[in-house]
Formats: sequence, structure tokens, C-alpha cells
Amino acid sequence: MSLLFNKAVTFLLHWLVIGALSPALFGVIARVKAFFAGKKGPSLLQPYFDLAKLFRKKCVYSSTTTWIFRASPVVSLAVMLILSLMVPFGRFRAPVQFPGDILLVAYLLALGRFFMILAALDTGSSFEGMGASREAFFSCLSELALFMNFITLSLLSESLSLSRMIGADIPMSWKGLDPVLLLVVGSFFIVLLAENCRIPVDDPDTHLELTMIHEVMILDHSGVDLGYLLYASAMKLFLFFAILVSIIIPVRTGHPAVDTGIFLGGVLAMAVLVGIVESIMARLRLNRVRLLLLIAFALAFFSLIVTLWRN
Amino acid sequence: MEKIFRGPWTVPFGECSLRLDPLNLVFLAAIVVLVLSSAIYGTGYLRPYRGKKPLGIHAFFYLVFMAAEKPAVRQAGFIYLIASHCATFFLFLMFFLMAHAAGSMDFDVMARTDFPQAVAALAFLLALAGFGVKAGFLPTHIWLPYAHPAAPAHISALLSGIAIKMGIYGICRVLWIVKTLPGWCGYTLLALGIVSGLMGVLYALGQHELKRLLAYHSIENIGIIAVGLGVGLLGRSHQVPFLAVLGFGGALLHVVNHALFKGLLFLGAGSVIHRTHSGEMDHLGGLAKTMPWTAGFFLAGALSICGLPLFNGFVSEFLIYFGLFTGLRELPPEGVVACSLGILSLALMGALALACFSKVYGIVFLGKPRTDIKTDGTPEGTPFSMLLPMAILAALCLWIGLVPQSVTGLIFGGGTYLAHTDAFAVRLGTVLGPLATVVRMALLFLALILGLVLLRRLFLGTKPLPVRETWSCGFVAVSSRIQYTSASFARMIVELMKNILLFRRRGGQVTGVFPGKAHMKSSVHDASEEMIFRPGLALSNEISKKLGHSRIRYTQLYLMYILLFLVFLLIWKLK
Repeated sequence: MSLLFNKAVTFLLHWLVIGALSPALFGVIARVKAFFAGKKGPSLLQPYFDLAKLFRKKCVYSSTTTWIFRASPVVSLAVMLILSLMVPFGRFRAPVQFPGDILLVAYLLALGRFFMILAALDTGSSFEGMGASREAFFSCLSELALFMNFITLSLLSESLSLSRMIGADIPMSWKGLDPVLLLVVGSFFIVLLAENCRIPVDDPDTHLELTMIHEVMILDHSGVDLGYLLYASAMKLFLFFAILVSIIIPVRTGHPAVDTGIFLGGVLAMAVLVGIVESIMARLRLNRVRLLLLIAFALAFFSLIVTLWRN
Repeated sequence: MEKIFRGPWTVPFGECSLRLDPLNLVFLAAIVVLVLSSAIYGTGYLRPYRGKKPLGIHAFFYLVFMAAEKPAVRQAGFIYLIASHCATFFLFLMFFLMAHAAGSMDFDVMARTDFPQAVAALAFLLALAGFGVKAGFLPTHIWLPYAHPAAPAHISALLSGIAIKMGIYGICRVLWIVKTLPGWCGYTLLALGIVSGLMGVLYALGQHELKRLLAYHSIENIGIIAVGLGVGLLGRSHQVPFLAVLGFGGALLHVVNHALFKGLLFLGAGSVIHRTHSGEMDHLGGLAKTMPWTAGFFLAGALSICGLPLFNGFVSEFLIYFGLFTGLRELPPEGVVACSLGILSLALMGALALACFSKVYGIVFLGKPRTDIKTDGTPEGTPFSMLLPMAILAALCLWIGLVPQSVTGLIFGGGTYLAHTDAFAVRLGTVLGPLATVVRMALLFLALILGLVLLRRLFLGTKPLPVRETWSCGFVAVSSRIQYTSASFARMIVELMKNILLFRRRGGQVTGVFPGKAHMKSSVHDASEEMIFRPGLALSNEISKKLGHSRIRYTQLYLMYILLFLVFLLIWKLK
């Protein structure tokens, strides 16, 4: 009984952390971009206000849509909530870890994507069809890079579980300033930018350009549904940051407060980094995006070659 | 777990016995379920044809190729016939070889024989050639996209769900009989699976016709099964029993799963064609509104075939992935490379299948109708006898996805049987534990969805929500024709792969300041058909024509040849 209670408490703690902190990342990125543009920028709490506003609004639906359109925000958010139980937050181990959980992580992401693509096609709009087609294409390439990274990490840690792959064994590898991990980090960062629809792959700030992907797919969502989607994408960003931070600074000092501080600082630094990338880079031309994703794949591929060479 | 029924009579070269063992049990399970569902479906599907067709000696052919008056259908039947004859040729060679080495035609005797390595390798290659044609491995798959769409929907379901699995069964049986396979056999099977899987799904993406697309997807799934068998064989030849059981077990589960979800998808496609009289995806659209039940079941099939969690496809792919990741640790370096390639191609197949089925579902069932679809105006329009089998298959897909423990006994029984290992020697808990956790997470996921739906209702209240048109960015002259089509949805992927897919595009260029009407036609052609078989057949045609010219045209001469041959035989025998 107490075991079950403990489990429930850890689940809730993880949900609390990600639920409370993830929207702030958008605020940080917006502030960094404003700083580079020489502006003051919105408050860090702006995403929270936006969410609160959306949750108070009603939805408007197109007469073309079916229940798929209404289901997709729910599925997206539920996927992120499940994933947040399988990703370690720094020293807080993932409440759910088992050999093979990376497969569940990857395929749950795919499930969310499947429903987003269907919802976009559900509107019957050619704009959204365009976004859906691109999402389907680019996700093929980013999934390839993601699994390539999984293979390398699995070989390094001799494990099949995300928490073991990016947890305790990583510090040993970093001591030799491992080129493998540098390559993995580089590759994963590109995957992160692509999966979260950030510049240079996608521009989250433009709604009506012919080059965007994710934003056009949610063009018809409104009110609570849009709130769910926004919240889900904030959580997705947080989760990817959490994985990357766990690879880069796998610090275990033993002091809970210090470790938590280091983890949250890392996530914050990631948000700043993404903000800087968005400020100093333009979005790539659409046919260049696939090159970028293939670069991510190539980096991961080299890391595998180095790993195999050493073994 | 073996039951043998021996007949009281004998057949030439042996005795008649039927046998139930853990391997064919898996296949029988799939057959029973799918045949029953298809039979129920057929009563509804064939109703419009009732009384129109003569039944009798041609009944079978009418059932298989009902529209035999169409040249395309006759051609499909002919290609199928040729392909299965070619396959049989290799199989005869293989069985003669094995029977010669074992000294008996009985499988039990063969299984007790230790074949020399060379014989084992040759038998394996012949099995791949013979059963590979039947299973639809690349590049000998070309009969499949012709034959499967030509049959009525429930027969297509059987052809895709069961008939090609008999090729897989044959390969499994040979793997079971021949224990002394050399190490490269596993790699060959893995490579064959990777190529078939990737090319199958890429060709599927380029198709515009619903049933043809599903037929190409069968090639992809056969590829996944072959990857699983390859992993199992690698495990067996490197003495890693756990790996062998995982690979074989995953492959067998995928056999069952594919029968269920591909059957479901073909039945769904049949309902669409039954109602709209068109399988061209670019003519359809918005069917989820008019056929909600069919749409729902088809979605279940699509989620299963993409290997997404909650449904059965994920379980079998999980097992195969698990095997491949285990192989990374347990196998020598060349095995690690092979397993890495296997993981990557499974991931790519998954992503491409997702693109393909979001295309199918999105284009056919969502959005607006692209042409004036003639329906009779009733809400669902699909008779209950067609909905029931779909419901059964969809429920089974979900059942295996949520309660995989109910089938693990069956498939790991088959896996250990194929791996020639003791069930107790393999620590199956290493994979059953994670599988149980996956299921718990799936249930939690469903609970979360329920919670979020309730929360949404709390936010929105119960008042009906406003319904407007899709926002088209201020453009008012929207027509349903400007929606994305199946070709435009897949264009980016197909164009990236245009060199191996033989992507052809004609027209589509507009000229002048005020361009008039323009036409565009794009299609994807099968490379192995256009580059290997067509030139090859043309060559053999030419050779036989040349031989035909030098033929002797007098019957008397032929009679004389026969006489001479008989005399020769007589002398040879008397000597």
C-alpha cells in the first residue's frame, strides 16, 4: 500500500514540476529573442497568462471536422504527461523505467504525431494538408536520427532503458571528454530543434507563411483545444531539454537542493541557447531542412562508428 | 505440446499424418480467426452479385477473381499463376535435396538428420527463393500488387493475411528442420527483411489506389517478419537462446497481428468500395461523416499497422526491437552492425508507415469529398454482416495490444520450438516484465485521456459549441478540389526517393500570363518489375522466338525422334 502511495506521490511530483515549469520556457525564449532585438519583451509569465486565457475560452469548430479533430489535443497532452513519467529530471529518477522504455517513448511521440496529422487533414484545408505532409516527411528523418542516438547510448550504457542510458553511466564517459557524447549531444540538439518546431527547422512565430509546419497544423484549433496543444508543446520542449541536460551535466552531488538547482539551471540554459539560436539564425529553406536532419543522422552515425571502433 | 494424427492409409513415399505443433498452431490461430471473419463479411459483400454468376466448376475462380471478364483481373490471375509455379519449381528442388540427404520424405526423419553444411545452405537458399516468391519478398513480389487488389475485399484479406503467410510458414518449417544452418543465413534473412520492408512501404506511399496500397504494405510487414526471423536465426547460430526466442516469437506474433490488422484494413477498404464504387483515394474524402463505423474500425487497423501503442502492432514490434537491442550486446561486431541496421530500418519503416496511413486515413475518411461520391444516402450504408467482422478484428487488435499476456504463451511456445531450446533455459521474464509495464502505461494513458476529456468538458460546459467553416486565410472561393491529395501528401518523401521508386511525372506546367487548363499525372513504378522482370522476360521471349524458328514442322519427324529415343532407352537398359 505504501509502495503504491509512494509511486503516486512521485507521479504527481513529476507532473507538478513539468506542469508548473514548462510554460516558463517559452517565456525565457521570448525574452532572449527580445533582448537580441533590443526590445524589452513580454513578462516571463506571459505563457501562463496565455494558457489561462485559452482555458477560459470556448472552441469554434469547422463543419468539416470530425471527432478526430477534437481528440488530437487530448491525445497530445496525454502523451506528454505519460512521457514525463519516463524521463529522468536530473537527480529525480524517472518514476517509470524498464528495459525498452525508449521504444515506448518514441512510439508514443509517434502516436501524438499521428493524431496531429489526422487533425490537420480533418479540416480539409490545403494549408493544413501542407503542414501535415511536411510533418510526416521530417519526422521520418528525425526519428531515424533519434534511433541512431538510442543505439549509441544503448551500446555505451549496455542498457535499454532511457534512465540508465542517460543516467549514472554517463559521468564515467565524460571523464575522458568523450567525442561520442559530443556527437550525440550535437545530433540530439538538432533533433530537439526539429521535433519542437524551432528555428531553423520551423518558425513558431509565423502563422501564415508557406514554409511553416507545426503552426499551420494547429491553425483551426481554438480555445481550450489550443490551450491543450500549447501546453503539450511546452511539455515536449521541457522533456527534450531534460534528456539533453541529463546527458550533458549528469551531476550527482548528493545534495537534493544542489542537484535540483543544477538541473533546473541546465534547463534554463538550454532555453537561453535555443533563444540565441533563434535570434541569430534564419529559418532554413524548406529543402535544406532535410539536409540538417541528415546531418543529425550523420553525427549520430559517426558516434556509433567511434563506439564500435573502441569496442 | 504436439498432437499427431496418423491416417489409416498410406500415400506414395510415406505415410499420411497430420500434426499439430507449436509452430503451426500460431498460423492456424490466425487462419481460423481471419477465415471466419471473411466468411461473415462475404455474405454482405457479395449480396449485389447474388444470382448473377453461374456457380459450378468455375465457382472458385469467380470467388477469387470475380470480375474475370476484365482484362486487368485476368492478367492478375495469370501473373499469380506463373509466380506460384515458379515458386513450386524451387520448392521441388529443395524437397528433393532434403529428402535425398535425409533418405526419407518424412519431416520428422528430416528433422532428426544432421544435414551437411553445403546441403543446409543450399536448402535454405532454395527455400528463400521458393517460399520467398509466395511470401512476397523483394524483388519477387511483383505478382502481389496485381493479385491482391483484383480479388473481392474479403478474399484480398485472406490473400494478404493468410496466403502470403504460408510462404513464411514454409521458411519457418525449413528453419526448424535444418538445424545446421551456416551463420550467414541469419544475416541474409535480416537483409532481405530490411530491403522488403523499406521498399514495400515506400512503394505503398506512392500508390493512389486503396487496395494496391494495402497490398504493398503487406510486403512491408513481411519484411518486418523476416527481420524478426533473421534476429531469431542469428540468436540460434550464435547460441544466444534468449535472442532466438525473442526474434522468432516477435516474428510469429507479427504473423498473427498482420493477419488481424491487414484483414481489418482490407475489409474496411472493401466497405469503402462497396459504398462509393471507387478505390481511387483522390476521388474520395470525408467518409468518416457518412460511414462512421467503418471509419472507426479502419482507424483501429491503421493505428495497429503503424505499430502505435495500445494496439497489437506495437507488441510484436516491441519484441523484435527488444531482440535487436539485445543483439547489440550479445552478438559479435558484425552482428552489432546488422542489428543497428535492423533497428534503424524498423524505425524508418515505422515512420514511413505512419506517413502512409495518416495519408490513407486523412485523404479517404477526413476532409471533404473530392468528387461527387454517389451513395444511397443512408447513414452508414454498410450492412451489419460486414461491420461485425470488422468489429471482431478491431477488438482482437486492441485485445492483443492491451492484454499481450494472453498470447505470449502461444507465440513464445512457437519461438522456443523454432529456436530448438528449452523453454526453461530462457529467462523470458526479462521481456515479459517490461511488456507488463508497457500495458500498465497504456492503461494509465487511457485513464489520462479520460481525465483530460472530462477536464475539457468542465472548461467548455455542456452548451453546444459554434460551428463555422474551416478558416481558409481569407480566401473565399474554396473548393474541395484544392485539398491535399494522396500524391501531394506523399510528394516530399517520394521525390527524395525518386531514383529507386521510378517516380514519373508528366505535365503540370502552366505557361503564359493567363494559363489555361493544365493536366498533371504522376505515378510510381515498381523498379524490380520495370528493371528486372520486364527486360528479363522480353529477353526470354526473344530467345524462345529464335528457337521457334528452327523448329521442325513435320509430325513424322517427331514420331521418328520418339522411336529413336525408345530404342536408345531399350539399349541403355539392356546393357
